[in-house]
Amino acid sequence: MGEVNNVKPFTENVLRSNVDGYGFERGQNFDHIVYDDFMSQYLSVLARRSARWREIVGRKSRIQRSAKVKRFCRKGIPSEHRSAVWMSVSGAEERMKKRPHLYRNLLNGQHDEHLIETINLDVHRTFPDNIYFTAADDPSGLRRPLYNVLLAVATNNDKTGYCQGMNFIAGMLLVVLRNEEKAFWLMDTLINVILPDFYSPDMIGARTEQEVFGEIVKWKCPEVYKHLMKLDVSWQLIGAKWFLCIYADVMPVETVLRIWDCLFFEGPKILLRVAVTLIMQTKDKILASRDFTEAVGFLQRIVSEKEIVNCHIFMKNCFTLPGSFPDRKIENWRKVCQRRIASDP
Amino acid sequence: MTMSGDEHYDFIWKIVLVGDSGVGKTNLLSRFTRNEFNAESKSTIGVEFATRDIVIKGKMVRAQIWDTAGQERYRAITSVYYRGAVGALVLYDIAKPMSFQNLEKWLNELREHADPYACIMIVGNKSDLTHLRTIPQEEGRLLAEKNNFSFIETSALDATNVAEAFNNLLVDIYKIQVTGDESTIISSPNKSDSRFKLDSSVTPMEGGSEGCSC
Repeated sequence: MGEVNNVKPFTENVLRSNVDGYGFERGQNFDHIVYDDFMSQYLSVLARRSARWREIVGRKSRIQRSAKVKRFCRKGIPSEHRSAVWMSVSGAEERMKKRPHLYRNLLNGQHDEHLIETINLDVHRTFPDNIYFTAADDPSGLRRPLYNVLLAVATNNDKTGYCQGMNFIAGMLLVVLRNEEKAFWLMDTLINVILPDFYSPDMIGARTEQEVFGEIVKWKCPEVYKHLMKLDVSWQLIGAKWFLCIYADVMPVETVLRIWDCLFFEGPKILLRVAVTLIMQTKDKILASRDFTEAVGFLQRIVSEKEIVNCHIFMKNCFTLPGSFPDRKIENWRKVCQRRIASDP
Repeated sequence: MTMSGDEHYDFIWKIVLVGDSGVGKTNLLSRFTRNEFNAESKSTIGVEFATRDIVIKGKMVRAQIWDTAGQERYRAITSVYYRGAVGALVLYDIAKPMSFQNLEKWLNELREHADPYACIMIVGNKSDLTHLRTIPQEEGRLLAEKNNFSFIETSALDATNVAEAFNNLLVDIYKIQVTGDESTIISSPNKSDSRFKLDSSVTPMEGGSEGCSC
């Protein structure tokens, strides 16, 4: 339990490899030319960011939340600091310190048989495209840690229990943190603090966010909204996996981590920004789709579009392209959408 | 070449896959639409769908098949799932008694949300697991007969009966949606009747589309 052996951060990985620095196999359609082009620029960005972060992280054990750290998170956390920064800015570190024995106790306690069976079913179906999740008995593999984290999360949150989608989030956390207990606390903080009711039995939080996504598209990109309504494409069809997996197993890994850099500091608004940016960046192609099949087919492939691979540019676009996202407006929509869902189950 | 644009089709029919988590919905779909099976497949989150085009009695039909997470709470998030479906494959795993017991729950779900004329087929999947079988074929057939549904056992792994399952269901749908009767087949179906037809003013264009045509 605890620390599992370290993997090299992806900055040291071998380009043109069939497996990336996080253990994900690159599919047949992986475009090495586009990726190499992006990486050659991104490595210098990472080096620059790394130097800036060292000034903040080096001095103290805990990173204070400040406007500067928020700005830094938006520009990306270098992989060597990611674990410490996520733990600090999300509040997970503090929660872990208050209950230092909780994780171990949860694993040592009694567990529901049905829960164990449900989790086991999904452990085998989490990132089969990642070398750390494929070998069942590999001691350095992540299947056992994944099982432990999911079991602890579901046991600690018995009203929520286990919800499909959590497996991809916990799996990604383990790939990055390589530490079960920290992955547990970040997951627990996500469920209870950052994304409340996303995974509850009525999934009201996630359903609300999908509706709010629709409202924002209507506001920021009315022609796309009209077009998709005409083709009868609902927001649930597009956004369910995006929101429930918080883009894990949806976007390229580097992009997911950059989104999470913002999520752990700022909360769920970033999920909406990303969703709307995806729509706005590919607006012309969406508008060119002539029927339901074409539109949904495109939207399901949207994340592999060329302009998404460069996560640095994409993240920059998330904060510029959609323009302002006032908290009050979003909060108001959340209330309106939640009422709408409640009245039309 | 794959055809593109819904105007090419005489009918576009939505079919949903339901059943417990892990019974093999996603692999049944990929076996039918792409002739692929993946032993290490991912849990389905949200809604996915694929299409396959087939010709039934000279009519070009696009089967638009929807697949979703098997966990019960996902019904809430995918309320659009059943809307407009004219057919459903209700799956269980012949080696998992719980997935068979839960069929009643899925059938209630369909009764509540699906079109009352939707064709329903009970599917006992993973028929290749002969040594692990706990649900005899007869039991599945009896349940289907009792409810007046069709029944088939399939294996997405070795492809047994997969095409048959979808094709039989599509023929059933044809009978209900087109002829309105099992014994008479109208030669020219009323196209404007189909709520899945799109505006015929859309101009056809070159381009790719999901699934394959056959």
